[in-house]
Amino acid sequence: MRGVWLAGVLAAMAVMPCPAAAAMHWAPAPVEHEKGHGGHDRSAGKAFVLVDGEGANLTLINPKLLEKPLASEGSSVTLKATGMGNYHALLARRSQAGLQESAIRYHYMNGKPSGTSPSLLIAHEKSALEIVPDPLAREHWRYYANTDARFIVRFQGKPLAGATVMMATTNGTTVGFMADADGNLSIPLPEDFAEVKAGRADNRPAEFVLTASHHDGDSRFVTTFSAAYHVNPEQWQSTGLGLATAGGGMLLGGVMIWRMRRRKEDK
Amino acid sequence: MPLWKNLSVIRKGVQLLAFLFLVYGSVFVGFYSADKISGAFPALSCAYDAKTADYCVLIPLQHQFGHSVGRALAAGTFTLSLLLPILTTLGTFLILFVLLNKAFCGWLCPLGFFQEVMGMIGQKLRLHRTESLDDKLVDRIRPAKWLMLSLLVILFPLASGLGFVGQELGDPFCKICPSRILTTLAAGQLNQLYIDTSSIGYMILSIIADTLFGLVLVLSLTMRQPFCRICPMLALHTLFRKVGLVKLVKNYTSRCDKCGLCAKACPMDIREIHTSKEKDILMPDCTLCGRCVEFCPDKGVMALKYAVIPIKVSDPYYFKERNRAQKVWEGKKTTARQSKKS
Ligand code: SF4
Ligand code: SF4
Repeated sequence: MRGVWLAGVLAAMAVMPCPAAAAMHWAPAPVEHEKGHGGHDRSAGKAFVLVDGEGANLTLINPKLLEKPLASEGSSVTLKATGMGNYHALLARRSQAGLQESAIRYHYMNGKPSGTSPSLLIAHEKSALEIVPDPLAREHWRYYANTDARFIVRFQGKPLAGATVMMATTNGTTVGFMADADGNLSIPLPEDFAEVKAGRADNRPAEFVLTASHHDGDSRFVTTFSAAYHVNPEQWQSTGLGLATAGGGMLLGGVMIWRMRRRKEDK
Repeated sequence: MPLWKNLSVIRKGVQLLAFLFLVYGSVFVGFYSADKISGAFPALSCAYDAKTADYCVLIPLQHQFGHSVGRALAAGTFTLSLLLPILTTLGTFLILFVLLNKAFCGWLCPLGFFQEVMGMIGQKLRLHRTESLDDKLVDRIRPAKWLMLSLLVILFPLASGLGFVGQELGDPFCKICPSRILTTLAAGQLNQLYIDTSSIGYMILSIIADTLFGLVLVLSLTMRQPFCRICPMLALHTLFRKVGLVKLVKNYTSRCDKCGLCAKACPMDIREIHTSKEKDILMPDCTLCGRCVEFCPDKGVMALKYAVIPIKVSDPYYFKERNRAQKVWEGKKTTARQSKKS
């Protein structure tokens, strides 16, 4: 089993260039770090850059699947509020001589409730080869280091059995994975933050980019999915102490009941 | 009494289904179901539960007061349009709330149900229960729900957004909510029962949360609905209770003065339902559980109504049967069959 996995990954590495360096993908534009809570980065006016994306067609797809061309300044785009709340998809597509490339990223925007769930946007076929989050992080959920993130690799709308996917993180990890017979992929997000401070707000997120590649006849398809992942809060949250404190609360409850009873009996 | 006639049993069935739906529902109705249902549910169903089908209105409210309004006020960029998300959240909440009114508490809330189940366990363990709290104690506790709503859901998040207090107080009710711990534990996650050591503020909030959870767990064994009495949702419901379609009504008779069984049956110790001469007796602390109607021995004096349609009306025959069923459950008397034989 391990041999098959290794062979698949090696084959993938052979057919695709180093994903972090070459495959077209979305990344947040560098900005000054803002401290604070944020389940999602919900601010309108958020800027992204398309790395290695010269000549690509850029589109923003809203939660109801309405597509709008995106104007870029150089390699970066600034997303303005669409008036509709929920996840939007940033899509870059490029075709050249037997190579079809795509880069997808999901971004949460505030606005009026769309009345649709992100399942519609996620299920929508955005490119022939696609890495589909299953599921995408929801309210109060994020991609965290040391947790598994699940994906499905699809080709022409159908799961791609045994697809090989490379993960590269901005913290320097590069690992290969292979999807199962149903195209399912479970990716353990690495604990690769060099410096971890206590508290959510004091740790910048890192980025991970998944790159899948597939040959079909004379055509080659390459797609990327990118997202932020965060230091796992378990680093500064102790479950053992939590259990002990809840035990203390139970004890306190017992004392309160006993005292109430004593007082009643005294009356 | 056949179980299907017993309103409390019917209610437990509904509560159990609601618990399963709210805690595990997304497994059946899809991971993003909250986006379709409301994302502003009028009971304590938690977004930290990875399997929840919908989550409570207090989460977006805290975030909108803090992140959106507070920060904009601090930056001097506040416009009235920033109130729109709050109005949308409250509007969504209201659409649901009108349908069931405070019955979201008595019939659907996972934490309300948990406290009742613990109470039933306490009864079965024959623990010495405090069925009714002292009037003075009840009066002292009552304002707490308003403090919880105004401080933890509105003012602290706003002050945090404005920068007056730390970001720890950005969503302080979620940080101490026992339903967050209960529903995530029920969903098989241990990641919400923790002590956060990242700052003094977070540590204090997590200590309060875990202690409160332990406290509610034990107190509900011998006391009725201990957390409900200070719940900010109860206060939020109270603000809108006049527009809800479910009503609790009373046709006062002079016999009420000598009775008071309704107030004794009330898990929230609302003694005013006994003394009130008003028709509308939906009080601020009511959870529309309907026990007062069940335990009123006088025909037609109390009723739970959906708009004008009566759902449950007090009735002496039902009262008798219900009383007997209660005693059997509590093991206070021989079973109905045995008593018939003797
Ligand atoms: S008052 Fe009780 S039943 Fe109502 S939301 Fe709060 S915990 Fe739930
Ligand atoms: S007043 Fe009646 S319906 Fe309301 S909580 Fe008390 S017993 Fe339940």
